[in-house]
Amino acid sequence: MRLTSILALAATGLALSAGFAAADTLDNLERERALLIEAMLDPGLAPAERQARIESEQRRLVDLERMVLRDESLKGRNTPTVRKAFANYDLTFLVHASLEKKVSLMDNWMDQVGISTNTLMAARKGRR
Amino acid sequence: MTKHTASRLAAAAALGLLLSGPAFAGDIPEWHPESSERLVKLPATYLKKSLEHDFAESALGTALRGTDGEIGFKAKTLQDLQNSIAKAEGDMRIELRHQFLHEKRAYVDMMSKRNELQRSRVRIQTRLLEDMLARMRPGSSGDSPAKQELIKRQDAARARFESSLSTVDMRLFNSSSAPESKYSVKYAENSAAIEQLVARINTHKMNDAVVADGENMSKEDYVRQMLADAQAESAIIDQEDTILGYMAKLVALDALALADEALDPASADSLSPERTTPAAMTSLFTTN
Repeated sequence: MRLTSILALAATGLALSAGFAAADTLDNLERERALLIEAMLDPGLAPAERQARIESEQRRLVDLERMVLRDESLKGRNTPTVRKAFANYDLTFLVHASLEKKVSLMDNWMDQVGISTNTLMAARKGRR
Repeated sequence: MTKHTASRLAAAAALGLLLSGPAFAGDIPEWHPESSERLVKLPATYLKKSLEHDFAESALGTALRGTDGEIGFKAKTLQDLQNSIAKAEGDMRIELRHQFLHEKRAYVDMMSKRNELQRSRVRIQTRLLEDMLARMRPGSSGDSPAKQELIKRQDAARARFESSLSTVDMRLFNSSSAPESKYSVKYAENSAAIEQLVARINTHKMNDAVVADGENMSKEDYVRQMLADAQAESAIIDQEDTILGYMAKLVALDALALADEALDPASADSLSPERTTPAAMTSLFTTN
């Protein structure tokens, strides 16, 4: 009887060691990333305000990006959101990618969405 | 020897002949082992013990132990009977030989039953181990190409993150006056604790790697070895069944031989066929 209970305890401990499911870290990252892009594109913000907002978002995003990258519960979770998130590291993990490449957050994001100085210079104002 | 005894022996011979086919066709008790999903998380050294313990607690394990006990007693009975036959004479000897044949038939029955139980155990264990192997190799167990691609991308992202972590940290804290975040501080603390726990797990005696032929075996290798052992056991059971088939045939032939001895003309109490044929009586009709 005692042996059975010890073995059950061991089995439970070993099963628990597989890890607990984390909260949805990717949702949090996507929300903050959207706010960062909003701050980058908001025409109503003065340059200093924009810079302050971007820096503030960057501090939050660093942690959130790390949480996603370390989140084992996302491994192999084949959903459209997860697939899209890992399809482009430079676009999803904006802060890490920009610091790694020594470029600003804005430059990195614009580069990833295909906006460059040349494309902007070649752009013409017109009615769609 | 009476007619009654001779007919009993003939019946025993007929029953013995039937034994050359499968002898055990009863319901086989069940064994529902732990899920392979759970077992796959166990250390290799503990895996076998856990399976054995699980089997011993099951209805199938209990039935197998019971059959083993009965077979032990039966073997002792056979030994005793054989010794008694060696000392007995006349009708008593034939009666003991008759009983010996019955006991041998019962022994073959029990062994067949035991083999059926063993075969059932091996079949369940093989299925479980195969399932475990499939779970250990997720890439080869039906993961869709999209999922495999996702896992590949996630691994690449993690590798890129790990390799750039120190550079990112340095640039981040150089460019900002803000202190380290609460998450970073706590994460570092927890990482240190996790490292200590992992180090203890790695040196724990129950987590020792299995060593075979002087080389460490991975868990997958160990499960494959267990699978090969189960298949070897199945082959041995097949061979034992062949032996039991021959034993059953011998019991049948011995029973026929015993019946034949019982019907020996020298010991029979009826007239011989030659003395009752018309030809033997011809002389009675040709002379006055």
